[in-house]
Amino acid sequence: MASRGGGTPAASGASGPAELQLPQGPRGLSPPPPPPPRNYADHNAPRRRRNYPPHTAPRPLPALARVSREEAGGGNRWAVTGPAMADRRPRARPGLRRSGHNARAVAQTGSSVENKSKSVRSTLAKQGLGVFPDLRNGTPRLMLKRVMQNQPQVSPLAPQISNHEDTKEAHSEVPSQRVSSMGELQLPDVAPEDTSTTVFNMKKKRRKFSISEFERAAESRLPQYQAQSALDSTVMTRSLRMSVGSLLAPDTVEKRGLLRRPKTRRAVDMQAFEGRVEQNLLKSKGQNDLVDSQSASVIRTSMLTSDAEMMMNSTELFVQPLLDEESQNKLSALEPQLSDSKTSAQRSPISDADQEEARLEGLVSSVSTNQERTQRYSKSTGLDDEHVDRMSHVSPETPAKQGEEKQDHSQQSNPVAKISVTEEEVVCSVYRWNSSLPSKSSSTHLGSPVTLNVSRMHLRQVVSHIIEDLEVSDTEEEMINTENGVEQKKIFQEAAERGASAGHSEHLEKKLAEKAELQITAGHASRGETEVAPSAGKEVEEGSTGAHSSPRAEHEITRGIGAESLGRPSHAFSSFEKPEVTPVDEIDEQGDELQDQAMMLNLDSSVGEPAEDEAEQPESQEVSMKTPTFVRAPPHKLLLSAKPAKASAPSFPQSSPLKLLQPKTVPKRLRTSQKKPREPQVPRSLIKAIFRHFAKMPVTRDAFQIVEKCSERYFKQLSDDLEAYSHHAGRKTVEAADLEVLMRRQGLVTDKMPLRVLIERHLPLEYRRLLIPVAVSGNKVIPSK
Amino acid sequence: MKRTAPRSTLRKIIKKHKPQLRLAANADLLVHLSFLLFLHRLAEEARTNAFENKSKIIKPEHTISAAKVILKKSRG
Repeated sequence: MASRGGGTPAASGASGPAELQLPQGPRGLSPPPPPPPRNYADHNAPRRRRNYPPHTAPRPLPALARVSREEAGGGNRWAVTGPAMADRRPRARPGLRRSGHNARAVAQTGSSVENKSKSVRSTLAKQGLGVFPDLRNGTPRLMLKRVMQNQPQVSPLAPQISNHEDTKEAHSEVPSQRVSSMGELQLPDVAPEDTSTTVFNMKKKRRKFSISEFERAAESRLPQYQAQSALDSTVMTRSLRMSVGSLLAPDTVEKRGLLRRPKTRRAVDMQAFEGRVEQNLLKSKGQNDLVDSQSASVIRTSMLTSDAEMMMNSTELFVQPLLDEESQNKLSALEPQLSDSKTSAQRSPISDADQEEARLEGLVSSVSTNQERTQRYSKSTGLDDEHVDRMSHVSPETPAKQGEEKQDHSQQSNPVAKISVTEEEVVCSVYRWNSSLPSKSSSTHLGSPVTLNVSRMHLRQVVSHIIEDLEVSDTEEEMINTENGVEQKKIFQEAAERGASAGHSEHLEKKLAEKAELQITAGHASRGETEVAPSAGKEVEEGSTGAHSSPRAEHEITRGIGAESLGRPSHAFSSFEKPEVTPVDEIDEQGDELQDQAMMLNLDSSVGEPAEDEAEQPESQEVSMKTPTFVRAPPHKLLLSAKPAKASAPSFPQSSPLKLLQPKTVPKRLRTSQKKPREPQVPRSLIKAIFRHFAKMPVTRDAFQIVEKCSERYFKQLSDDLEAYSHHAGRKTVEAADLEVLMRRQGLVTDKMPLRVLIERHLPLEYRRLLIPVAVSGNKVIPSK
Repeated sequence: MKRTAPRSTLRKIIKKHKPQLRLAANADLLVHLSFLLFLHRLAEEARTNAFENKSKIIKPEHTISAAKVILKKSRG
C-alpha cells in the first residue's frame, strides 16, 4: 500500500503513518511537519463513503495523474487540488500519511475527510488524479464510465476492467477491505491506462511490420534476379540482413522516419535525377563517348548509390550486388533511363542508394570483367540506367514504396553485383551495401561520398552528401571534367590493378570510389547530377534530421562536388585512411572502376565520417570534395587527364588526410609525453572583463599586463594574510570568517557596509545563495547547516 | 559580461602559495569577491589618474601608480 508507492491509496491505516511519512521525506516536502499519528481507521471509514459520490468527470490517464500526484507530495497535494483542498489539509494529512501516495492519499483523504469531497475529487480528477481508486474507480459508476471510455480502445483489457470494477465495487463498499479494494480499484485505473498504452504499442508494431515487410519483399525479390553472384549474394545478403536487422531492431522508429521522409522527396528526385543524368550522359557523350558515359554512369551511380545507400540504410536490403554481364547489359540498356532516374533517384534517398548500388556494381563489374573503360562505362551507365529507371519508377511511386525501391535496387544491384565480381572482395569488405551502391553512381560526387556513407551512415548522410556533391560539383564541374577524365582513366587502371590484387581493404575501395567520383564529377557534366545530388542530399538530410549524419553527408557531398582538383579526392582518401593513400594513388592509376567504386563507398563513408569527426570543416570539406570525385572518376576516361592531377592530389591528400588522421593519435602521445606544468593563474579574459567593467574607460593592452601582475601580487598577499588569520584562530582551514576579517582590514567591509551587502552587489545569484543563508518557507534555511 | 568565478583556479593559486593551507567550502567565493573589489578599487584609481592626466585612456603609468596605492591598501 504505502509501500507500493502509489499503487494503493491510503490503504492501511496502521502502517500508514510510518510508511506515509517516509515517502514524503524524499520529496522534500518539509513544510508540513509530520502530524501525530492518528487513528486512521476512523478516517478510513468516512473516506470510503466519500469516494462513492460519483464524479462523472472523466479521469485523465492514470499515469499522468499518478505522476502529478506523486510529485505533489504532501505539500503539493494541496496545491494540486487547489484551494478546495486547503480546508482539508488537516484532515487530509493523516490520510496522506496513510496512503503514502501524494495523489491518492489526497484524493482519498480529501474525499473521505470531507463530505464535500466532490469538489475535491472533481479538482483532483480534473488534475488528472485518475489513479485514485476510490474516487474514480471506487464508485461503480465511475468505473463503468472509465471502462466504457477505454474499452473501445483496448478490447483485451476491457474484460479485466469489468472484473476489476466488480471487485472494486464490492471492496469499496466494505471499508474494512479497503486495502484490498484499493488495490483492485487501482487495477481498473491501470487497466484503462494500459489500454491506452497498448493502443500506442499496436501502432508502433504496425510500423515495425512495415519495415520487416520491406525486408521480406526485398528478399523475395532478390532471388528473382539472376545476377547475384554467389559471393555477392551471400555476402551482400548476409551483410544486408545483418545490417538491416541490426538497424531495424534498434532503430525501427528512426528508420521509419528516414524512410518516410525521403519517400516524398524521392518522387521528385527521381525525375530530376534522371533528367540530369540524361543531361550528363548527353554531355559526356558529346565530349567523349566512353568518358562521358562512364562519367555519367558514375555520376548516376554515385547518385544512385547515394540513394541506394540511403535506401540501404533506411530499409535494408535489397541489395545484393548484381554481378557481371547481366548487370552490365542492363546498365547499358538503361543508360538513358538511368539518367532520368538518377536525377530523381538522387533526391530520393532510397533510390539513390539503389542507384549507387547499381553503379557500384556496374562499375565494379565493368572493371572486373572488362578492364576496358568503355565496357565499364557502358555497364555503369547501364546499371545507372537501370537504377535510374528503377528509381524513376520508384520516385513516382508513393514514398511508402520503399520496398519496391529496394527491390529495384536489389535488381539493379544484382546486375551490378555481377559486374563487380572482381570487386566482390572489395565490396564485401567495405560494406556490402555501400560497395554496391557507390561504386559508380557515387562517381558523380554525389554517389561516391554518399555511397560510402550509406554503408555507414544513414540516408541522411547520403542525401547530405549528395547535396554537397551536387553543390560542389556544379561549381567545379568544368574544371574537374578535364581533370577527372584523366584521373578517371587512371583510376580505372588503378582499380583494375587493385582488383587483381584482391584483398582490397575497404580503404582501397573507398579511395577508388572517391577518386572515381572525383573524376567523374569533374569530368562530366555532373552539374545536373550535382544539382540533383545536393538537392537530394538536402532533402535526405532534412528528412533524416540526422545531425550527425548530415554534416558528414554534407562534407562528403561537398567533397564529391568539390572534386575540382584531383588532389582533393586524394586528399579525402588519404585523410581518412592513411594506408589508403598509397593505394589510392595506385588505384587511380589503375582506374579500376570496381575498386574505385568500392573505395568510393568506403571512402565516402570513411571520408565523411572521419573527415567530419576529425578534421575541421574546411579540411573535411576538402576531403569530401576529393572523395566524391575519386569515386566518380574511376569509371571515366577522365582518369587519364586526371592522372597528373591525381598524382598531385595524392600527395596533397596524403598530407591533409594524414593530418586529419594523425590528430587523433598524435596529440595523445604529445599530451602523455609532455606534461605542461601550467601555473595556475586567473584567466586573462576574466581580468580584462572585470577591469574594463569597473574602469568604464578604454584601457591599453599594456595596462592590462600591469593589472595582471598586480593581481598576482594581490593573491600572494591574500594568501599570506589568510594564513595569518587562520593560524591566529588556531585553525588550519581558511573560513569565511577569516575572509571577512581580511576584507574588514582592507577597508572594504565597514560598519556601514556589511559583508552581505557586498556579496549581494558583486556576486551573481548562484554564489549569493551559497554564501548568504536565506530562509525559505517551512522553517527551512538555505544553505542548510 | 561577467563570467563565473574560477573557483578551482583560485584554489590552485592559494595552494601554490600556501600548500599547507586549506580552504573552506565556499571560502573561495569570498576570495573571488575580494579579488573583484580589489580590481574595482584599482580601476577606480587608475581612472582617476587618467582623468588627472586629462587622458581618455588608461595608460600603463596610470595603472602602475594606482597599483602602488591600492596594493598597499589591500594588505591585511
